[in-house]
Amino acid sequence: MSDKKPLFVFKDVHVEVEGKEVVKGVSLTINKGEIHAVMGPNGSGKSSLSNALMGHPDYTITKGEVSLNGKNVKEMSADERSRAGMFLAFQYPTAIPGVSVANFLRTALKAHRGKDADMSDFRKLLKAEMKNLSIDPSFATRYLNDGFSGGEKKRVEILQMSILNPKIALLDETDSGLDIDALKTVSEGINRFHNEENGILLVTHYQRLLNYVKPDFVHVLMDGRFVKSGGPELALKLEESGYDWVENEIRQKAKV
Amino acid sequence: MNKNNDIKIPDIIPELERGPLWLKEKRYASREAYNRTPLPSRSLHLWRYTDPNKFTIDREKAVDMAFNEGYDAVEKMELNHLKEGNLAALATDLGGKTINFYGIEKLTAQGIVISTLSEAVEKHHDLVERYLYRLVNSHTGKFEALNGALWNDGIFMYIPKNVTIENPIHLLRESGLANSVQFPRLLIVVGENAELTVIDEYGGGSQNENKEPSYTNGAVELFGLENSRTRYIMLQRQQPSATFYLNHRALVEKNADMLTITLAFGGALSKHNFGVILNAPGANSNMYGLLFGSDRQHFDNHTLHRHLSGQTTSNINFKVALSDKAVSAYTGLIRIDHKAKNCEAYQENRNLLLNKGTKAETIPELEILNEDVMCSHGATVGPVDLSQVFYLCSRGISHTEAVKMIVNGFVNNTIQKVPKDLQERIQTYVTERLEHI
Repeated sequence: MSDKKPLFVFKDVHVEVEGKEVVKGVSLTINKGEIHAVMGPNGSGKSSLSNALMGHPDYTITKGEVSLNGKNVKEMSADERSRAGMFLAFQYPTAIPGVSVANFLRTALKAHRGKDADMSDFRKLLKAEMKNLSIDPSFATRYLNDGFSGGEKKRVEILQMSILNPKIALLDETDSGLDIDALKTVSEGINRFHNEENGILLVTHYQRLLNYVKPDFVHVLMDGRFVKSGGPELALKLEESGYDWVENEIRQKAKV
Repeated sequence: MNKNNDIKIPDIIPELERGPLWLKEKRYASREAYNRTPLPSRSLHLWRYTDPNKFTIDREKAVDMAFNEGYDAVEKMELNHLKEGNLAALATDLGGKTINFYGIEKLTAQGIVISTLSEAVEKHHDLVERYLYRLVNSHTGKFEALNGALWNDGIFMYIPKNVTIENPIHLLRESGLANSVQFPRLLIVVGENAELTVIDEYGGGSQNENKEPSYTNGAVELFGLENSRTRYIMLQRQQPSATFYLNHRALVEKNADMLTITLAFGGALSKHNFGVILNAPGANSNMYGLLFGSDRQHFDNHTLHRHLSGQTTSNINFKVALSDKAVSAYTGLIRIDHKAKNCEAYQENRNLLLNKGTKAETIPELEILNEDVMCSHGATVGPVDLSQVFYLCSRGISHTEAVKMIVNGFVNNTIQKVPKDLQERIQTYVTERLEHI
């Protein structure tokens, strides 16, 4: 495929948290229209990688390059990265008491567009997207993530992604804490968002989300390094044999 | 001027001679108490954070009643609110010297009394004598005695049994400019099964921080009789050079409900003491505080929930936001007496420090004298939560804007509880302060 256009590229990225290196040199190229999954056991550095890529001040990229559409984003603050077209769906979205979902989204949209969204257009957009994700209309006036259940929080993350329409979406354990119906709704939201121009990086522990959102590539992250990459069949193999299987394979290789 | 001099109230001054004999006796007793009582020791917990010397009087000070220009705008706005039907009545109190009432005719027709305290002393003698000085008096403290001796004039309200006033009555109390001294006083009796919302707003003082401060020493006494519903909203928005002292006490009777909202934005130095006493079963008190300090403002707040009777409930949520070099001390006492069984009492104090250089103290105090109670308290002091900031930033919102949104969110629940016609103004005060962070 010669028409592949690199969208989001990171090279040899190292991440430190509180002085400890948790990601030890990872590289990946996501072309336009591609979905990549990063899988790994707990503590492998998945969340650290996604937080660092989004510019969380506690996660320092000590080495490596990150670019979006050929533009270096490593020196950008989180809000600049967002406006450049990056999005992170959080594993544990933070509650912001006193700030309503609608008010928050309108402010975020304004930051992206540089001007206020027309009130009635915005209401229509919000209403339609909420309906798509089976979010009750009353959530528009509720305080952001305040008292939301795990499933509600994840739906609202996808709602934000749909409305902000980023170029690259990093989805950090978006499937965790979802029952089967919510998982379907959220997956449908992700699939609706996905098109030939954008890219998705799914970070997940389990394979089950990948039944609904089909990745083009799967990468296994262990101890801060990508140890294996492959197609969707790799996820199935992991589900079947567990992460021990990859570990054993690495050990075998080391012996040889 | 010697600030350490504890100046006495002289024997013979006209202020002490105002009113009938019983009132003069109270005034003289208050004078005695003020003169006799030494300044509170700084080692007492209520005075650990604030210098009591600031609240004494200096008789050299002129009681000159020139008023701040900003006053007219607020008066106009509130007169409009009255005209539009958002207020039940408006009272303007210029340092106790000139007190005007607007829109009270309809209220008077329902048997409601709203007048100056001095007029009430004459016309509603029995009522006033029964209630005045019952909650804030010469025994309460030195500075309460000062008000008790010298109050110029005040406001009196009586809501008869079964009368409901739906819209707020707004009291606009204006202090004079630099060097002025005033002693506003408020007495409210809400009768059985009656309902009242009152906004008690304190403005004035000099805008010039280099001048001698104006000094306001206020006293508020509220009585919520059986089954009554009272909402008392205090707004303090005095000018940057003002010194402010207020003691508020409310007595809540059987099955009566008391809501207290305290909103503090103004003054250089303010010491507020809000107390609600739950006197009979079924009495309930909710108290919400919102304080936003900036520059070098110093705030000292004390709240008291005293459960004298069993089966009473209380809740306090006191929020503080500070920027620049502002300082706040909050002490909150819940006292549940021996025989007051089956009470519930909750207290929460959250302090948001918006930059280094601000300082907040929070001291919860629980005196629970029996075991059949449900009681909890929580307090936090700290900067804006960075995970909240990152969350908003990750959606494209700038750091400054994110902090503003979080602080607005922090104060929002309290603002929502304020009567509608005041909400916009409170939001403006918050927005103004957030512009500088």
